[in-house]
Amino acid sequence: MTHQAHSYHMVDPSPWPILGAAAALLTTSGLAMWFHYNSPYLLIMGLLSTALVMLQWWRDIVRESTFQGHHTPTVQKGLRYGMVLFITSEAFFFLGFFWAFFHSSLAPTPELGGQWPPTGIQPLDPMDVPLLNTAILLASGVTVTWAHHSIMEANRKQAIHALTLTVLLGFYFTALQAMEYYEAPFSISDGVYGSTFFVSTGFHGLHVIIGSTFLLVCLLRLIKYHFTPNHHFGFEAAAWYWHFVDVVWLFLYVTIYWWGS
Amino acid sequence: QGLKPLVPTESPAPIFGTSKPPSVLPATEAFLGKNKVPDLQKVFQRSDGLPVHLKGGVPDRMLYRTTMALTIGGTIYCLVALYIASQPKNK
Repeated sequence: MTHQAHSYHMVDPSPWPILGAAAALLTTSGLAMWFHYNSPYLLIMGLLSTALVMLQWWRDIVRESTFQGHHTPTVQKGLRYGMVLFITSEAFFFLGFFWAFFHSSLAPTPELGGQWPPTGIQPLDPMDVPLLNTAILLASGVTVTWAHHSIMEANRKQAIHALTLTVLLGFYFTALQAMEYYEAPFSISDGVYGSTFFVSTGFHGLHVIIGSTFLLVCLLRLIKYHFTPNHHFGFEAAAWYWHFVDVVWLFLYVTIYWWGS
Repeated sequence: QGLKPLVPTESPAPIFGTSKPPSVLPATEAFLGKNKVPDLQKVFQRSDGLPVHLKGGVPDRMLYRTTMALTIGGTIYCLVALYIASQPKNK
């Protein structure tokens, strides 16, 4: 039985990378089939296979780390770099949509009535539900930090309480945003105002759902004793992602909701 | 001095130490389930030569086969659909 003379993780052969790529193919071609031929089957297969691959790939990572002990400090460092780079790439993704918003809103064309918000658009009151949503995400930033400190101090009950509160706040935000979307007096097809508003807040909302799901998985792992006071990187990654989602919302709120109204 | 205590100075029969010791009380032992990580560590460190994605036994195999079937089947469907979609529309 050979033993490695380094602290890196040489993973077992795995089918998930290539099956994940195939799932991406099915999802994208499925979108095309749905848009142009009104057939949703390929898209459904794509989304289902994507979910299955994600579930099994991340399940395997939990097995490799918590159950097999492969996540040495060296490996953890690599994962930290990876998460930082990923979040940075997401920041650039949102930067693009903010660029589009400022491009159209700083110099509104005659077609919009030479003003922002454009003629005929009733923007949402920033002091109404959007302000509540801001408070919710800020509070969830506090609770996730509380949970982190509880984990580091080996306080199981408080960690579970704090992380549960965080997840509930995340779902509360999503529910309120869904209601706002339903009740809004303008839609995505209402000119460039509608486009910039719904694409920016829409992608943000998707990231809130992703972040809430990540935190929920961490909560389940926390309950199952996977985290130790010194080694809980999965939780830290989820917390970083969650703070990122919060910061993006603050930018959205100040620029699109407040300045743009 | 000289005052007789009205209350007996002898303490009554002890009531402390008669309840169950903490280790017997279930509430303090485990909050939301007990720690099964050591057992799972034993399972996933067995030298059975299985890769990590199949090391959990039958449920892993079922999930893997379902994912494989869906993905391979879907890819074939995708290629057929793209072939059909690339045919010119005959007026």
